[in-house]
Amino acid sequence: MCKKLGKFLLKFLAIFVAANAVLFVVFFFDLDGKLLFNVVEPFLKDHYDKMERKDTLKSPYDIDKFPKYKYD
Amino acid sequence: MAKDIKKALRDFWYGKPHTAEEGGRRLGELYEDKTGLLKHREWRGVKDTFYYMYMIWGYNYVHMVTDILKFSNNPIDFVKGTWRYRWMGQTYLPVMHWFERGLQGMRGEALAASAWHYRAMVSASIHQICNFFNADTRLHGGKQNDAYKHTIYANETTCGTLFYPFMDDGYQYLPIEMIPYFVTCHVNSHTVLNYIDAVQSIGLPGDPCPMCQAESGIFVLDDVPDYAPAVITCNEACDASVSTSTLQDWFADKPLFALPIPMQFDDPLVKKYCMNEIEEMWKFIEEQTGAKFSWESMVKRLERQNKLQRDEWEKWEVAAKTNYYPINGVAQALFRIFSTQYGIQTSCWEEASEKVKKIMYKCVEKKINPFPQTRHRVIAWSCAPLYFSNWCTWAYNCWGLNTIINMDSLMFDMEIRTDSYENMLEDVVQYHMWAPMRRMAVGGMHHIFELWDYMERFNCDMVAMYDQLQCKGMQGVHGLFEDEFRKRNIKAFWMPHALPDCRTVSRAEIRRQINDYMTTVMHEEPLDPSLLDFDDSMTW
Repeated sequence: MCKKLGKFLLKFLAIFVAANAVLFVVFFFDLDGKLLFNVVEPFLKDHYDKMERKDTLKSPYDIDKFPKYKYD
Repeated sequence: MAKDIKKALRDFWYGKPHTAEEGGRRLGELYEDKTGLLKHREWRGVKDTFYYMYMIWGYNYVHMVTDILKFSNNPIDFVKGTWRYRWMGQTYLPVMHWFERGLQGMRGEALAASAWHYRAMVSASIHQICNFFNADTRLHGGKQNDAYKHTIYANETTCGTLFYPFMDDGYQYLPIEMIPYFVTCHVNSHTVLNYIDAVQSIGLPGDPCPMCQAESGIFVLDDVPDYAPAVITCNEACDASVSTSTLQDWFADKPLFALPIPMQFDDPLVKKYCMNEIEEMWKFIEEQTGAKFSWESMVKRLERQNKLQRDEWEKWEVAAKTNYYPINGVAQALFRIFSTQYGIQTSCWEEASEKVKKIMYKCVEKKINPFPQTRHRVIAWSCAPLYFSNWCTWAYNCWGLNTIINMDSLMFDMEIRTDSYENMLEDVVQYHMWAPMRRMAVGGMHHIFELWDYMERFNCDMVAMYDQLQCKGMQGVHGLFEDEFRKRNIKAFWMPHALPDCRTVSRAEIRRQINDYMTTVMHEEPLDPSLLDFDDSMTW
């Protein structure tokens, strides 16, 4: 039982240390920033540039459509 | 050899010292050319590096996700919104880089306290973003859901305070431009350029204020969520913004109430007129949404807002009279303008303020100077470059210029009385009229020259004078400031910029102007020469 628990704790510790080491590498070398700058942002920019948009200038501007909202 | 090992161990444990004479950390060498990405993050010593990694970088990544889960009615809407709106997807992903730029070189208490201000701003931004997406008909097949019917759509300089009376009934105020425009410029300055170009592409000349241009451009590019039944606009303290309101009226196509911020706000008659207008606006909200004005709802939130204001005064007292204030210039300025403008709609401001006060009093008790390399105590005046709001961090690291306070923080410098409706209304109107870019920037000569009083109050010996090249109001008083600086023998440098548009005056050019002043006028040597000149032209 003790041996099993010891093995489990050792495994848990190894995974914990490895996960933190990977996290540290990502943090210290700004890998998240590099991924976002070089891959994610260009991809999203491309998507937004190609997106079909309403031509807002074609919508009429009816300034008398709503009342003047004076409450004196 | 033994000395080298000792130094290497000391650098490992505590991080490298700040100044070039002591061996220097040379922060400028951490940047990749042009992009401003980091070859690697600074080693701040064991304690601060791991504090940064777990309590700032990791903590904020995790809390961004939990905030979305907390504020969003359906997290799928958040994904849909990110895919739909450029200002969302392109801007808010690199938010941890925004932290990095503002916190660079900070250690110990300055690092911890400044990061709590950033954390509050991120939480408040996610609160707004989720509320946009909860209510947006574009993400819900055109359906006007309950969130839509309980949201009030207003211009970003119409302060959140005005909408407190309706919040107990589940209504919320969502400023249209704060997230798609204002915050984006700080986090990722690339995004806003699309909107400026869009409005110029339909014929607007390039010289009006680029803020007004960008805010109109969001509508031209059809990048505005449809999230409320009616609109409240204001003149955003400047007449170019009146044109923005006209375009918003056209493109939003909803019932609209215009609530101007008066220019000559010292006039008692103007104040009376403005009180009447605010009451009219409340009637408009009642008529359009079915909400009812609640005195209890108003008082409850005003009490919390007043407490936040008193907290701020406590912090200012320490900033003014001691060297123990742990917030850096950019964290101080952005927290203050964001919290006063958005108001008490989440508890994030109060939570951050409590944490910061705790750190600050620790500094006071233990006599910790969080900015030990301060050579000059700087007051920053007028409107700051949004794409380089972190200039204060750079200026401290490079030259020891510590920005103690700035104009934007001082605008809403008041409590609001809650003992009677009449007193409350009188104070709320004052608060409303002291809006960003109005109270000091274009609010008349008496107010713009409050600089001298604040300089004395905060024990500052230098002025960083922002020079927004496309603000016709502030350009008009440029010469008067020059005269006063000479007459009063005040050390001051000018920082030309174009608010959100980093193409007009680059960050490198702003740094060059400050470098020139510090070498040719002040005859000083940089603390960190690696930060004098570097190319970050493509950075976020």
